[in-house]
Formats: sequence, structure tokens, C-alpha cells
Amino acid sequence: MATRQTRIPEPFHKAVERWRDTFIPDFDLLMDNWEKYFPKDPRFELCAFRELGICDEIECGELKGKQKATQPEQLLPEQAQHLLGAIKAQASTEFGSIQQHMHTLARAQTEQDQFWVLRMMAEELRHGYQMLHLLLDGDWSKVADVKGAEMVEEILSMTTGSHVLGAFNIDFDSFVDNITFCCLIDRVGKYQLDMQRISAYKPFGESMPQMLREEAFHLATGVVPLRRWMEAAGQGEVYITTRDIQRAINKWLPRGLEMFGDERGGGTNVRYGLKPMKNREAQDLYYHEVEKVVRDLNMRYVRARLPELHLAEAEDLLDRVLAEGTPVRGIAREELLHLPVKEFFRRRGEPAFRMVGWQGEEYDDAEAYLRHLQETLPDAYRANRDFRSYAEALRKVAAGEVSADEASREMPSLRRIGGTCPCSRSVRWVVDEVPSNGEKRLDPIEQPVA
Amino acid sequence: MTDDTNRLKIRTLEDADLGGIIALDEKISGLYRPDVWETRFTYYMRRDPEACVVAEKDGKVVGFMLGDVRAGEFGLEEPTGWVEVLGVDPGERGQSIGRRLAERILDHFKASGARSVRTLVDREMTGIEQFFTALGFEPAPVRTYVRTLQEP
Repeated sequence: MATRQTRIPEPFHKAVERWRDTFIPDFDLLMDNWEKYFPKDPRFELCAFRELGICDEIECGELKGKQKATQPEQLLPEQAQHLLGAIKAQASTEFGSIQQHMHTLARAQTEQDQFWVLRMMAEELRHGYQMLHLLLDGDWSKVADVKGAEMVEEILSMTTGSHVLGAFNIDFDSFVDNITFCCLIDRVGKYQLDMQRISAYKPFGESMPQMLREEAFHLATGVVPLRRWMEAAGQGEVYITTRDIQRAINKWLPRGLEMFGDERGGGTNVRYGLKPMKNREAQDLYYHEVEKVVRDLNMRYVRARLPELHLAEAEDLLDRVLAEGTPVRGIAREELLHLPVKEFFRRRGEPAFRMVGWQGEEYDDAEAYLRHLQETLPDAYRANRDFRSYAEALRKVAAGEVSADEASREMPSLRRIGGTCPCSRSVRWVVDEVPSNGEKRLDPIEQPVA
Repeated sequence: MTDDTNRLKIRTLEDADLGGIIALDEKISGLYRPDVWETRFTYYMRRDPEACVVAEKDGKVVGFMLGDVRAGEFGLEEPTGWVEVLGVDPGERGQSIGRRLAERILDHFKASGARSVRTLVDREMTGIEQFFTALGFEPAPVRTYVRTLQEP
């Protein structure tokens, strides 16, 4: 299918380039080495792509069969609000992930890993740019009482801690995080992009195909090094162990599951033709896919450890070790990767603040559960503010001082206060007050997924 | 339609399918070649993921077909769909898996503006030749020439 290439108005384009200079300081290095690392791929370009020839009619929900909107004012008011929330959340995640990746990028073991992540960061910038294009291309003031320029300024001023979705507010502790994040969190992104292809707002749907093509590379940026690390671990290498990878999975998978939104929600998006699946259905598919990735990684480990085995023998060995829990030919269950259960270490959604261990075991004592987390999460992560906030909230929930729902909303986050100017230094940890009238405050995470 | 056919799902290739494709190749060729497939797989996923499809049965990859749309190959300026590589699980043959994979990929080529589809077939692989002939492919006037550059 043909694509149309476009740029946002010059002042905003320049603002994004300035943002890039701040958060992707190695961008020029990437472009200077593009042909070395990506000789068969077109050079990166900062622009928006719109796929032409996609379906004109709404593909699901109550409005199925009607014409898709091409301008914001053609949307129903509530539909427009939901869509706008999704576009802003999408933009926030794209810019947010770059800010996370930049701090540990230089710690990559190999140049290839570093350049792959660098390219992925540049493409995330383009994805953010694509969302800004959507905010600026139509007049949203008629449906949302806000101008595109204001929304763009707000998005470009966000930093780690102030983004819409939780996974983008957590600092990376090592390059293992860069890679695991690409494998697990970008995979959620793939699901969101894929669902948004059918959006009742045609310009949004037209934005997805090119983003999805690029997202495929982002997943490879995660999975390829993970496979290599598992093979190296199987051969006895000491740099990155299966324990390190397991702990990184334990850190990121719960945040990835939460990115789909509350398991009980998603109906509004389906009703308005914005997405074809409710949250739980999409989350289940994601979880099943990660299960396949984990099995593949374990197979790499087994094949590297016992290269004399044929395919069927290796599969049989893996199944036996996982099922029986006893070592087979020297490979123990503890050496392999395991997918944490969906309820593990959750702070949002249906299982928020339930004390479920990573393999499904239930706890009834907060301190015992926190000790379990101490043993299963990366050391550096436990030392940071995000984990401490979780631990404090969990203790309050366990003591009956707050409900899980209230605790979800009271988790502090870094916020920009006192203006949205990108050069502002006014970022502080803040906790939102729960309204005294008991009214349920709008949770930003519910915006795109309700 | 048999029960087996109902259990079969044809879908776009995903990165999580790599392990399944490596395993399938090992069943067919007897060789475990993860690096070869990883390079090839990453290349196709980046170029045109929708031109790459797999057949899944009970959660396992039982067939795959990788391709893309290109223009300018061998002086063929018009956009052309290229079927590059395919494989079907030996234990699952006879269920029209290859045909269904081809139908899906050909639909994508057409939607992408390709007006013809090409592939290269080794004459000694008569099964593959028959497969493409049954799909309506005909021998093209373009012939492949090869010359060895180094003595083994």
C-alpha cells in the first residue's frame, strides 16, 4: 500500500529536533554509522507517515459500518475524549521510553546492541512525532477545549516520572533493562498499535502500519540479545546470568500487563470502534506470546548447554525439567526462565496489591511478601523510589488503612509543577490528594483503556 | 473441511515465531541453524512483516512463507511480489497449508500494488515446482546464470 509522508509545522518540527538533541545526544553518531549497521534499510527520517487505502468504514462496535471520521469534530464527544487520551498516552510513551533508554545506553556490551537501541530510540521519536502530527493536523479545540499546540507543549515537557503510563516512569538500572524493556514493554506497544489500526478516526488508523513495521525491529532489539545472552549463559558465561534476566522479567512484566488497562475495562473503546478487543482479551494474547518467548529463550539455553541433543530431545528435556522440577542431565529448574503469574507484583488492575508470589503462591503477611519481592526483583530496582512507594502502599493496604483502589491512586509520581516549559526544573515527587467527597478521581491510565 | 484444517490458523509472522521456524527448519533439513534464521527473520520482519505469514496449529508453527514487494530487481521496474522461502512441517503435509499460506501472501502483494509474483525454484526440487505450478505460476523467460568464482 502507498504511504504519504509529511512534516508537522516548522516551529514544532524544530522543537522536536531540540528535544532530540537533549535526549538522543548520539543521534548524529547513529546517522554516521547507519550504513554500517543497517545497510539494507532506508535511512531514518523525522517525519509522519500515513498509509493510504485503508478501510473507510468503522470495523467494530455500535457504529460499525458507518464512515470513519477524518476530522476530530466528526467524532462523538465521548469518543473524541477517549481517542485524545489514547493519542496523548501513545505520544507520552514514545518520548518517555527514549528518556529511559538514554541513561544506560552506553553500558551495552557490544556496539551492535548499542546501535540497535539507538535506532530504536530514533524510531520511537518518530512515533512520538507521528502522534504530534495527529494532535496538530486536526482542530481538537472543538471537541476537547484544548488546542493542539498546548498538548504538544505538555507532551514535550514530560520527563521520567510524569508520563501517562507507569512503565515509562521507572528508571533503568542497567543495559539488561534496555533489552528486557524492548522485549516486554515494546511488545505491549505492538498490541496497542495493532488494535489501533482499525480506529474509527481514520488518520489514527493510517498512522499505525508504518509504526508497526518499525515496532517489529524494536522487539528484535530486545529478543535478539536476550537469546544471545541465554546461549552464553548456557555455555557458562558469567556476564549476564539467567537469574539477572529472570529478575528483569519480574520487574517489567507486571508493568507491561498493567499497560493494557484494568482487566475489567476496555468496553468503551470497542463500543466506539477505537479498538477491536477489550483489555483482558488483549492482555491474555500478550501473556501467551511472552510465554512463547520465554520457552524459546529456555530452548536456546538448553541447546547451548547440551549441543549434542536433537530438537525432539531438547524439547523433551525442557518439558521434563519444567514439569518435574528435578534436574535432567545437569539442568535444574532454577537455571531456566519462568513466566511470573499475572497477579504477581501488581499495583493496578484487578489483582492490584494482592500478595501473589511470582509462581502463584499466595501470601497473607505484607512483610513476608516484601521479602519475597526482595528475593525476586533486581537489587538496584529495590533501592529506588518506585519500589519504596509500592512497599509503603502495600503495607497500608494490608493494614486496612486504604483500599487497593485508593492505594493504586496514591502511588506518587514525578510531576512537573509550576508550568510546562521544557526548560523548567520544577519536577518534584508528588502524591495526589484523594478528593474528600469520595469522588473517584480520573486516573490517567484509565484514559486510553476504559 | 477436516478437523485438522479447522485447527489451522494462517496469520502474519510475529517475532515470537522464530523458535518455531528454527524448529521447523531443523525437522526439514536436519540442521539447527538459529543464527541463519535470526538474520533472515529480522530482515523480513523489518521490511514488510505482512508479506511474511505462518501457519499455526495448536499453538505450534507448522508452516511459513516469507516474502516482500520490491521494484528494480533484474530490470523489473514494476512493483513485484517475491516469494523467498517457505517450509511446511513434513508431518502436516497434505492439508493445503502451503496453498493457504500462498493465498494470504498473494492477497497482500496485490493490496501492496504488485502486479506479478515471482520466485526461484531449483529444477531438482520437483515437489516445489509442482506446488507453484498448481498455484498458477508459469516458467518465466528470465533465466538464472551462475559462475563459480573460487575453486573449492
